[in-house]
Amino acid sequence: MRFCAFAERTLLVLNAKGIRHEVININLKNKPDWFFKKNPLGLVPVLENSQGQLIYESAITCEYLDEAYPGKKLLPDDPYEKACQKMVFELFSKVPSLVASYLRRRDKEDCSGLKEELCKEFSKLEEVLNNKKTAFFGGNSLSMIDYLIWPWFERLEALELNECVGHTPKLKLWMATMRKDPTVSALHIDVKAFQCFIELYLQNSPEACDYGL
Amino acid sequence: MRRRLEIQCEDETRSLGKGSCPPGPVPEGLIRIYSMRFCPYSHRTRLVLKAKGIRHEVVNINLRNKPEWYYTKHPFGQIPVLENSQCQLIYESVITCEYLDDAYPGRRLFPYDPYERARQKMLLELFCKILDYQNTTYFGGDCISMIDYLLWPWFERLDVYGIADCVNHTPALRLWIAAMKQDPTVCALLIDKNIFQGFLNLYFQNNPQAFDFGLP
Repeated sequence: MRFCAFAERTLLVLNAKGIRHEVININLKNKPDWFFKKNPLGLVPVLENSQGQLIYESAITCEYLDEAYPGKKLLPDDPYEKACQKMVFELFSKVPSLVASYLRRRDKEDCSGLKEELCKEFSKLEEVLNNKKTAFFGGNSLSMIDYLIWPWFERLEALELNECVGHTPKLKLWMATMRKDPTVSALHIDVKAFQCFIELYLQNSPEACDYGL
Repeated sequence: MRRRLEIQCEDETRSLGKGSCPPGPVPEGLIRIYSMRFCPYSHRTRLVLKAKGIRHEVVNINLRNKPEWYYTKHPFGQIPVLENSQCQLIYESVITCEYLDDAYPGRRLFPYDPYERARQKMLLELFCKILDYQNTTYFGGDCISMIDYLLWPWFERLDVYGIADCVNHTPALRLWIAAMKQDPTVCALLIDKNIFQGFLNLYFQNNPQAFDFGLP
């Protein structure tokens, strides 16, 4: 689905590794019955290959692609460095549900508590960059962990949550650097389009997923 | 007289609590696991250490009375944590297990095939969802319902052996088990621990008397 942050992870990896792929978008507000045969949980992203093998859960799809396809390795070979990327991923893990909660509640109630929680999570990531003293979360070049967390940072502006990175200068710098990456900019979503999608999506409109087409 | 091979790992040591001295650096050739004897999460890592024959030392942590120095190993004082002789720290049980599989030679526990690896990870996600799926007392809401009865038999059997006293990790599950044991239906059918163990002993010996164990 064109606006899904989780699916964007997989698209980033497919593009970063130059993997030939086809995209089938699913209307998440009106799922086809057959889609549950692809993923019993009915969620995107799902990968399907020519052997009929199905892989789901966004982080698992990304790791699968890195292992199964040649070319630039996005995860480090060194076991400790690889473990470090996964530990950073764990540090990030509360962010998607916080953002989702914020989306559901922002029109109904005061969300300053949620924003504070988000700021707290972002400071953990700021600390990682402070300790590592590198431009990216995996070192001096962009790697898997950066792509895995990017989609949520990309959406901060559209969601009017930029204030949450107000006290995290290294994180802000990382965001600016990420935007210059060719893979990231190729998949950039227009702020207005995303905002219109969100409005329709929250109203459960079956047109939401196709907004802009 | 033949000497018995020394066990390479000894996890039956007293836990370290507040006021304890931090252990020194990890000697070369060894990896240290910070653990607790009854915790299912660190149990995972100990299984992998054992399965791969990795030389290690165990430091048990008193989870209700954590040493101050332990927060330098894990920001929230959780277990398991691995520490190697290069002072590298790895935590989150699944990450520690994968690290060990990658870093140490010998028997590979994760499959080589990327798809098979992905399948194992998907299965783990499903399992974790059971653990995470609770935001209510019972799996179906505030009252006991079908799903609770459908899951209970497996947890009752784990409970017979004493489910791990892992305060921080699965408080919701512990509460659910306690709540279930108060349900009259569950109580009425609760298996006696000794009888169950007696059954299992005979069962694993393929003894046909197993099924009638405990009957007069």
